Amino acid sequence: MRTILNNRQAFWLLLSLPAILLVAGWWQGRIDSMDMLHPTGEWSARLMIFAMALSPLVAILPPRRWLNWLVARRRAIGVAAFVYALLHLVFYLFDMGNLDDILAEWMAPGIWTGWAAFVLLLPLAITSNDRSMRWLKAGWKRLQRLVYPAAVLTLLHWIWVHNSLTGALVHFVPLGLLLLARFIKKPLSQMKPQGV
Amino acid sequence: MRKLIPLAVAAAAAVLSSAPVSATGVMKCNAGPQSGWKTQDALKAKLVKEGWTVRKSKVDGGCYEVYGTTPEGDRVEAYFHPVSLEKLYVARRGQVLFRKPGY
Repeated sequence: MRTILNNRQAFWLLLSLPAILLVAGWWQGRIDSMDMLHPTGEWSARLMIFAMALSPLVAILPPRRWLNWLVARRRAIGVAAFVYALLHLVFYLFDMGNLDDILAEWMAPGIWTGWAAFVLLLPLAITSNDRSMRWLKAGWKRLQRLVYPAAVLTLLHWIWVHNSLTGALVHFVPLGLLLLARFIKKPLSQMKPQGV
Repeated sequence: MRKLIPLAVAAAAAVLSSAPVSATGVMKCNAGPQSGWKTQDALKAKLVKEGWTVRKSKVDGGCYEVYGTTPEGDRVEAYFHPVSLEKLYVARRGQVLFRKPGY
């Protein structure tokens, strides 16, 4: 059990499971390109939120083994979020089918926010390898902070493209609360000595 | 501080349970029982005659929701009244292009 749990390939398989099921459904003609947009986008946002939730959880909770286990896999979760965003974009292009229609709607609030979020995620995905981490040193972590504006753009993209708050807020409010909790906790822990 | 996590879960659950997943809430048609509705095929035929391309149609919020291209060439999502087949709402990726007054 433990070897499966700590196997890198098994974790990647777990992350790609929704994509495998979705693409298989599309391949067999059960899901058309238009209906691939929502689930691929939603999985991308979920994984992004999950990866982003880990550092506030580490700050708020006492040390936990499962949390360390997840933090050790955060980069994989982030890369998976990007791959789902890429799938989302590919199926958008399939669904649109031609450049004229894509250009005609790029300035719609629900669309340019999606493009912008993707553009921000691109350098994060490109530098997600060990070599880039070594090369960028402390800059790597600074670069990763682009995920925050990307998350805001993703939230707006979701709200505007659906013209509805519900789905987007269900996903982003928990992350917002966690970030807020860390923000509140920080000054408190600075006042009290740690490790009691 | 740890209370915030159950709070976040509770908030998510509250939002989830308050909104039926089937309806997007974008538009509502109080059109009475479905037995009095015209068919989606009738709507599609009408739209095609007017110059639309219909990619997909379904029921949402008691209205007919259509994904397609308008006679002007815009790719949109549009809502129609299922009894009168009247156009109620047209949006491009959530950006409202037309909304019938009162809806």
